[in-house]
Amino acid sequence: MLLISLNGFLILCCSHLVSCRYAAPIKVDIEYTKGNQPNKNPEVKRGLVIGRMPIMLRSRRCVLSGKDEAELSKLGECPLDPGGYFVVKGTEKVILIQEQLSKNRIIIDTDSKGRVTASVTSSTHETKSKTVFFMDKDKIYLQLNQFSKPIPIMVIMKAMGMESDQEIVQMVGRDPRYGGLLLPSIQECASERIYTQQQALDYLDGKVGSSNSARAGNRKEGLAKAILLDVFLANVPVFRGNFRPRCVYAAVMLRRMLDAILNTDTFDDKDYVGNKRLELSGQLVSLLFEDLFKSMNAFALELVNRAYEHASRSSPLDFIHYIKQDFITHGLEKAISTGNWDLKRFKMHRKGVSQVVSRLSYIAALGHMTRISPQFEKTRKVSGPRALQPSQWGMLCPCDTPEGEGCGLTKNLALMTHVTTDEEEGPLISLCHSLGVEDLGLLSGEELHAPGSFLVIFNGLILGKHRQPQRFASAMRKLRRCGKIGEFVSIFVNEKQHCVYVASDGGRVCRPLVIADKGISRIKEHHMKELRDGVRTFDDFLRDGLVEYLDVNEENNALIALYECVNDMDDSEDDIKKSCITHIEIEPLTLLGVCAGLIPFPHHNQSPRNTYQCAMGKQAMGNIAYNQLCRADTLLYLLVYPQRPLLTTKTIELIGYDKLGAGQNATVAVMSYSGYDIEDAIVMNKSSLDRGFGRCIAMKKYSVLKEIYGNGTSDRIVRPRKDKDNQRMQILDGDGIAAPGEIIRNNDIYVNKETPINTRDKTGGPMGLKDEDYKRTPAVYKGPEGETTVIDRVILCSDTNDKLCIKFIIRHTRRPEVGDKFSSRHGQKGVCGTIVQQEDFPFSERGICPDLIMNPHGFPSRMTIGKMIELLGGKAGVSCGRFHYGSAFGEPSGNADKVEDISYTLVKHGFSYSGKDFIYSGITGYPLQAYIFMGPIYYQKLKHMVLDKMHARASGPRVMLTRQPTEGRSRDGGLRLGEMERDCLIAYGASMLIFERLMLSSDPYQVQVCRKCGLLGYYNHKLKTAFCSMCKNGENISTMKLPYACKLLFQELQSMNVVPRLKLVEA
Amino acid sequence: MAEKTMGGAGASRTSYQRYPRVRIREMKDDYLKFELRDTDASMANALRRVMLAEVPTIAIDLVEIEVNSSVLNDEFIAHRLGLIPLTSDDAMSMRFSRDCDACDGDGQCEFCSVEFFLSVRCDSDQTLDVTSADLQSTNPRVCPVDVAANALSSAADGYESAEQKGIIIVKLRRGQELRLRAIARKGIGKDHAKWSPAATVTFMYEPQIHINEDLMETLTLEDKRSWVESSPTKVFGIDPNTQQVVVIDAEAYTYDDEVIKKAEAMGKPGLIEIYPREDSFIFTVESTGAMKASQLVINAIDILKQKLDAVRLQDEESDMKELTSHLGNL
Repeated sequence: MLLISLNGFLILCCSHLVSCRYAAPIKVDIEYTKGNQPNKNPEVKRGLVIGRMPIMLRSRRCVLSGKDEAELSKLGECPLDPGGYFVVKGTEKVILIQEQLSKNRIIIDTDSKGRVTASVTSSTHETKSKTVFFMDKDKIYLQLNQFSKPIPIMVIMKAMGMESDQEIVQMVGRDPRYGGLLLPSIQECASERIYTQQQALDYLDGKVGSSNSARAGNRKEGLAKAILLDVFLANVPVFRGNFRPRCVYAAVMLRRMLDAILNTDTFDDKDYVGNKRLELSGQLVSLLFEDLFKSMNAFALELVNRAYEHASRSSPLDFIHYIKQDFITHGLEKAISTGNWDLKRFKMHRKGVSQVVSRLSYIAALGHMTRISPQFEKTRKVSGPRALQPSQWGMLCPCDTPEGEGCGLTKNLALMTHVTTDEEEGPLISLCHSLGVEDLGLLSGEELHAPGSFLVIFNGLILGKHRQPQRFASAMRKLRRCGKIGEFVSIFVNEKQHCVYVASDGGRVCRPLVIADKGISRIKEHHMKELRDGVRTFDDFLRDGLVEYLDVNEENNALIALYECVNDMDDSEDDIKKSCITHIEIEPLTLLGVCAGLIPFPHHNQSPRNTYQCAMGKQAMGNIAYNQLCRADTLLYLLVYPQRPLLTTKTIELIGYDKLGAGQNATVAVMSYSGYDIEDAIVMNKSSLDRGFGRCIAMKKYSVLKEIYGNGTSDRIVRPRKDKDNQRMQILDGDGIAAPGEIIRNNDIYVNKETPINTRDKTGGPMGLKDEDYKRTPAVYKGPEGETTVIDRVILCSDTNDKLCIKFIIRHTRRPEVGDKFSSRHGQKGVCGTIVQQEDFPFSERGICPDLIMNPHGFPSRMTIGKMIELLGGKAGVSCGRFHYGSAFGEPSGNADKVEDISYTLVKHGFSYSGKDFIYSGITGYPLQAYIFMGPIYYQKLKHMVLDKMHARASGPRVMLTRQPTEGRSRDGGLRLGEMERDCLIAYGASMLIFERLMLSSDPYQVQVCRKCGLLGYYNHKLKTAFCSMCKNGENISTMKLPYACKLLFQELQSMNVVPRLKLVEA
Repeated sequence: MAEKTMGGAGASRTSYQRYPRVRIREMKDDYLKFELRDTDASMANALRRVMLAEVPTIAIDLVEIEVNSSVLNDEFIAHRLGLIPLTSDDAMSMRFSRDCDACDGDGQCEFCSVEFFLSVRCDSDQTLDVTSADLQSTNPRVCPVDVAANALSSAADGYESAEQKGIIIVKLRRGQELRLRAIARKGIGKDHAKWSPAATVTFMYEPQIHINEDLMETLTLEDKRSWVESSPTKVFGIDPNTQQVVVIDAEAYTYDDEVIKKAEAMGKPGLIEIYPREDSFIFTVESTGAMKASQLVINAIDILKQKLDAVRLQDEESDMKELTSHLGNL
């Protein structure tokens, strides 16, 4: 099994995994003519491989898709692994979901100067452009990159063939207020004496930007028309030069803009989730592929052209040879492994698109798949995009966001969110027409905005108008519910804008909701029974029109109830409301994401605590996957005895956290003990630790490469010589490689490697070298001193360059020690303050002794009531033998136990209803003065452990350049006395201390200084005199001490022709 | 009922000597409930602490793994082996390996250690449970407690219960093997919880319940019932004949004050008074099986005595030393 794990990563054990990428061949059929035989039948080549496409794990093309648990485990894969990532160059990479402003939609906003703007980012297969209308000094202008200056809007309209001002005004709307606002623009156009299309085009030709005109070679005629055709509102199709659809579109833009001026409510909110699109890995890869494919073709063409010049008669030119296979493969691999998406055609340069899947815990990996990377750079100090949007409800998790710079920008999907993919437009458009949408081409401007009729806008494109919008919408929805059109098509009637928006584009977020008729759910008990019996699946619910997907926009047309109204006999006022209810939430807990779903009773916690837990749950140790012991990650932390939380939630069961837990149920006493529990520290029971509480395994990978050099020589791994250096080589086998199962200590050698001294010149090959020609370069293990670490596995494999690579997985079992970090699931982290013998621990008369003691001061300011309820529920759970639930907002639906019921259970089993126990002190044997709140709480051990962090140094290594102590724990560095510490010492006047710290303990150096020239001299050891090379004598030399860095500075300055001179004075 | 006096230290000066009494209430192999009277909390607690931490037992301390192809790693298995309780009736007479003279400190002689062997290989398609029953002891008096219990029961009853399969160490699938040598040594719970012979040692003060009968009579039956119900444990009951509130089980009272609060809420403060008796304790001792619970208590008393003797000796010695050192300084 291990032989298949090429490049250090145990991936899918399937045959087509060559050199450790998980990719599939892209096959194309090509047709071409061979040589100079144009009249012969074209050559057809089928199934030509042009490259390899990385495959997302568990996607439809993945070998693992559709496999059941037994098959997956046979393949060595974890059935709980979510997939959704790629394997490139031996690492797992996720392509993060990218958040963007939606394309091809009119966005009304104000710019930095406070001007009202209407902008459209057009994105088609050919081009990308941004069209902006803005109002400056009452006049409306168009801004387009291709034009050097803003263009009066009326000129544009005229250039597109709307020569009559009346027509324009009619098209915008006949409301006199619109006319009033348009008047200055019309006036400006008239003052420029532009009345006809030709005049307008000529005017525009003059405004074409320099970069464009240069390209066209100073011929400016027709340029403006080309820009209007290709760039201006490029998303609106133009057939045979008929600009009318664009005119209407521009008019609608103007109308919306004027609306916004008249009524500020109609501004669009850029942060509104409905105006956002999420770009998934498929879209990103397809963009990349398209670009690479085109460049590959261009490259092939270039090669063929070049080859034609020196074509020989004997071997006819075969086009196939010029298609470079690795072009696409490498391009895709490079982009995914570096995360740099550089597309020339779309001027897209994005960094950090892909990330290495964090495998610290199962939840970390799962949370990584749902992460949404922000559209803005994180450094911007704006509050708007960071704030929680009401439209985020149910789509994006309100809790799961990082702290610090990415706060509120990096988001996570909620549990039931679905991101749409593109759907075919043609059938939908014709369907709209057959449902009574009047075509745009048949309508005059006057008719377009006739009162009562709504514009129908399909994916940002104006289709036409409809006289009965509500009927149209309900007809469309009916078709969707019975599955005639895609379930993710959204129909949204915007009463304010008098528009019906139909959307089928990709990247919208939507979620399923139960359809209700007048507040009564369509899902009845028998449906649920069928679901429980396994007869019915979720798709059946969708197909039968019981459940439907709503996107953020369509949610605005729905009235969604949290629960079905139980009481039929409501009073009349409520009845009206009830009859308006169109949908019912499936489950309120789905508004949270996977990370927040772990928290029991999150709705009882202060909200930042839930956010903290979302970040901490990713650092918790536990199980990573079922195949965790076969994996070869660089660093792996596992818990020895992970447990399933006593207090679970529905989300935990859905995502499988109960199978791959990351924590243990600890009996916690909330009390003060010993003073080693201040500042959130916890006191732990030594006997609990002896029995395995918090015990973890840290597995680290070390690899050694057997290098092959240019001259044909290579490293060799030799049998250890038993005579000398024996102590350090004890664990080596006869082959010079450490054996699995051996205990390895600090400074032990684990590979007895030797390197040829001469790696440049040609020698007689590897056989010709004698023993003396090698120098010893053994791999020495650097680990914590005094700890027993064990070699878990040794993997021999060849890397991509066919060099032998030896990988060691070194295992270290650790028990908790003072300073290790623990946390509950409520954002309450704390370090272990002290470890106390069990006999000193308090005990109850039942014989219960807590595993850890937490200080009650953790509660008042944190307000984590959820933790208290978890304790109560856990206690009730252990006493009655049933897992209790604490799903978010789950009390009404029975997904969370009520405190009252828990208390009842507690009393039934002889506990106090409050969860408090009568406790005796273990030290004195006297009862404690207070009742102690005690019960089980699920505790996570976090990855931050003292062993990996503790560091101290007396004297040690120094940096070569400055001779100052090295920096950082990994280099056994010194502890820096920084500027602020220095300031303190200066202020205190501890000058000798500063001298000692900054010079004597750092980089003292003795120099010879010439009193005359003030420059540094040197000490001639032969003559035993100091000498100034400037004055050419050794008469005026003094010896002094200064920091080596200072001497270095002087010399560096001298090298730049700056002369620092020291003036010495007798002290 | 066995009654026994604890040997008090016979100091001849003004005697504060007490004569604590022990009354055993319930005794099973691994469970003991007794009353300890006429002493104070310090004594009771000392006894409890000694039982938890200082009564020596035998537990596996060193594991040499020969073959381990199971899913669990070596340390994991070693840890699990260590936590298996072994019958430790001889532990008191055994030597600690650190002060064993017979072996030069490596703790592998017969006076201070017991060797175990385990060799299991799974050759069937079913998963094989490696349990404590697979541990082969070199000393028949030291073996895993469940094995010993099974041997006893099968000897007595003549049938082997199917569900008693022993303590699972690891599960093996086809082709996996576990072969190891383990050395069990004597130790105390203070060093590692695996040497603790007690699963639970706890005591409580005996509650003294005084019901104010006159006040109680002012209550209606309904009130009495609700008052009785207010206790989370069944302490009180109502005599079906006299309809009087009676104490059913005073020791079920958990000092939760619920009945007192209830009485106050009913407007009858002083209806009941409950005091803990400061000089009598009810001990509950549960043994891991390493030794009988009764033996555990006896051993604990022995050790407590030894400790007290040591303190007394040390006290006399150090008093002299201190004095001389003081004089020397002057």
